[in-house]
Formats: sequence, C-alpha cells, structure tokens
Amino acid sequence: MLELLGTIGANIISLPGILGLALGMMTRRVWLGALMGGVVGVIETLLFAHWSFANIETIEILIAVVVGLCAGSLGSAIRIKGTTA
Amino acid sequence: MADSPENRGWIGRIWNAIWTPAVMFSSGFLVLAGFLAGILFWGGFHWTLELTNTEEFCTSCHTMETNLGEYRETIHYNNHSGVRAICSDCHVPHEWNHKIKAKIMAVKDVYHEMVGTISTPEKYEEHRLSMASAVWKKMKASDSRECRNCHNFDYMDFTIQETRAASEHQRAIDNNMTCIDCHQGIAHTLPPNYLETYQEITEELAGEPSGKLQHQVADGSAEIRSFLTDRAE
Repeated sequence: MLELLGTIGANIISLPGILGLALGMMTRRVWLGALMGGVVGVIETLLFAHWSFANIETIEILIAVVVGLCAGSLGSAIRIKGTTA
Repeated sequence: MADSPENRGWIGRIWNAIWTPAVMFSSGFLVLAGFLAGILFWGGFHWTLELTNTEEFCTSCHTMETNLGEYRETIHYNNHSGVRAICSDCHVPHEWNHKIKAKIMAVKDVYHEMVGTISTPEKYEEHRLSMASAVWKKMKASDSRECRNCHNFDYMDFTIQETRAASEHQRAIDNNMTCIDCHQGIAHTLPPNYLETYQEITEELAGEPSGKLQHQVADGSAEIRSFLTDRAE
C-alpha cells in the first residue's frame, strides 16, 4: 500500500504530473491533453529505467500513465475554464 | 440572487477571483511573476527535501539511536580518507522519481516512532530481521543502485585490492551478482539466520521456487563485514 502511494505521489510531482499538466494546458481538446500526459508517463518511466523495458515493473508504468492521463486532462480542463476566447 | 458575488462565501470569492481574467496586470507581468514564484517554490521545496537528507535529521528520532551506534562502528562512518557515506547516501536514491517515492514511504518511520514499534532494545531486535529484509529487498531489486552511486566495478582496480576481495568482486561480475548479495551487514548488525532470509528474497525476486536458484549469497558475509569493520578501527 505504502509502495503504491509512494509511486503515485512520486509521479504527481515528477514529469507525468507537472509536464503532463503543462502540456494539457496547451490544448482545449481533453483527449489530446490526456494523450500527451500519458506519453510523458511512458517516457518518464523508460527514462528512469535507463531506456530498458526489462527494468520496468508493470505497476510502475501503469501508475505513471494513469497519473499522466489525469494531469493532462486536468490541464485541458484548466485551459477550457481559464480562457475567455 | 444566491449566486451573486456579494452572497458567496470566502471560498466562492477566491474561486471566482482565480477564474476571472486579470485586468490590472499585463500577460508579461503575470508570466514573469509566475516564473519567479516557480523558482522560489521549487528552490524552497528542493532545499527542504535536502535538509531531510542530513544525518542530523535522520538520527533526530529516538528509534534511530541503535542504527546510528552500529553505523558509527563501520568503515562508512570512520576511515583513513575521511570520505563518508551518511544515512541518505545508502537509503535515499538520487534520481528524482525514486527519491520522492522513498521520501513518501519514509512517512512510515514517523508513524513507528510515534507508536514506539522499536522503542526498546528488545522490540528493536524483534523487528531487526524484517527491517533488514525490507532494505535488502529494495537493494536487490534495484541492483544496489545506492551503493553504485559511489562504487563502480568499471573503476575498481583489483590489483590493489586484497586478494580475497579481488577474487570475490570478479566472481560477482562473472555471476551477475549485486553489492548487497555479499555486503548485507555493511552498516548495521546482522540478525540471526539472515542468510536464509536473504536467499528467500533472492528467489522471490527471481520468481523461482525455493532451492531452484543458483546460490547467490556469499557464504563469507560475516567475514567480509568483520574485515571492513577492522579496517575502520
């Protein structure tokens, strides 16, 4: 449980959370924001695994992608809510 | 007019202010202010995080006194060159993602300090094997990542190592072993029957049933530890 919470928290304040949110804020299309966030999740996991899928645990990449999807969607939602035109 | 700005509570007014376009500030001002605030926040956050990596912070809890005493007897605390590895060097990863995960998971230490899980020597000994196992499991899974922040086989000169150390390090390279396979008690006292537990961890991580895996645990771990401790004195 603690391992799970740690992985989620680490991803929120790492690239999937921060860059995912920033990329999501660049578009009004929620699906595109989510997609970009998810891609960041995959790239970040690979980056920390020294670009080897053998070093990646399924749960790790799954959490990174889900956090990226959520952050990207939230970014797009902020863009929609925060712009007047 | 329940939803008019005058009738809203303070949360509603803040929410409204956040989403109302700024009329008093230019875009450039807001971008620059946001950038500066970001630097301040990130710098402060990172600085605070680094403060939690200091030896003083790690050993400020009563329950860490035993670990500290054991560590002070080892080569990582006191040696001829004066180069030291403090708690965070071995227990906190350097890479951002792994570091944050370790910091979040370390919240459990605060909980156990408060409830007194290892507050007496008896309780400490009772939990020694499980605490050690948790660390060994992490180190084995990460190929002793934190050891390798300082130690690297590529730069080890076996010709100036003790004969036994050189041959064991060569064996480790040949058999694809990792640092913790031999150096389990490098900084803390080993619990009884630790070799059996470590072998179980190795097999569990390899996904092999007990007994199937090649014996990867060094039989002379105690010898290695005593050798390193003697060198520290």
